[in-house]
Amino acid sequence: MTRADATPADPGATPARRTGSGFGRLLVTVYGVLAFAALGRSSYELATKFTEAPVAYSLSTLSAVVYVIATLALAKGGPRWRVVAWVTVAFEAVGVVAVGTASVVAPDVFGETTVWSGLGQGYGYIPLVLPFVGLWWLWHTRPSRPHAVPRPGRTHDSSTTPHPEA
Amino acid sequence: MVLPLLILVVVACAALAGWALWFVARDRAVILRQLFGAAVVEALLVVQAVLAGVLMATRDHAVDGPLFWGYVATALVILPVAAVWAFAERTKWSSVVLAVAALTVAFLDWRLWQIWGAGA
Repeated sequence: MTRADATPADPGATPARRTGSGFGRLLVTVYGVLAFAALGRSSYELATKFTEAPVAYSLSTLSAVVYVIATLALAKGGPRWRVVAWVTVAFEAVGVVAVGTASVVAPDVFGETTVWSGLGQGYGYIPLVLPFVGLWWLWHTRPSRPHAVPRPGRTHDSSTTPHPEA
Repeated sequence: MVLPLLILVVVACAALAGWALWFVARDRAVILRQLFGAAVVEALLVVQAVLAGVLMATRDHAVDGPLFWGYVATALVILPVAAVWAFAERTKWSSVVLAVAALTVAFLDWRLWQIWGAGA
């Protein structure tokens, strides 16, 4: 992990762009709102009617937790957080398509609606669109050389060391 | 909940969102004055929540409590968090964030009205 965590001292490598800046600000905002909505919904369901549909409400809770982690990861955006973001956002993409399709084909399995039911139609299809936008954004902001190894011999390069005579 | 206050909140949210979108069109970041605008909306939300609590306590109005207060809490959290998050960004995307947050609050307030009515 240490190699991936090192900031690229290789002058040829472009560092990864911040995932929480620019368009990422909006992405994190929408993720945050969805995370909050999912978390609120699942806590409400767990507290008031968990026994009615344990499968659906467990799934709601799981998706809510993943949304919260994805929001954090996208907002932080360091090398390690970027990996977390890839995993959680991909998980959501798979989750919404799998559970969404299953809920349409076999509605009885889940008993009750979740964030992902009907491909996220209860939330304006945002749960369906968002993970794919997230994956695109992670790819778009990726570092040009993700495995750039810092070269110790180049650290005294004039571009990295300030000129003392200035 | 009372209808005039609901309309006032939704109009205030729409005005804030419109102001932010105007800034998006002009490629500008959120300014402090817009955050004061967000604070006004937030104050209206607090008044609305207190009023709803008083009405609930005095008029025997049946509402799904956890659901209602969950929405109230969400609506109250969004603008302060979004304001900080938007203000830290110094591009037009900060204005997009504020617009989205304001529209989300308007939507949540409308949902609150539905939840309030469902228990009546």
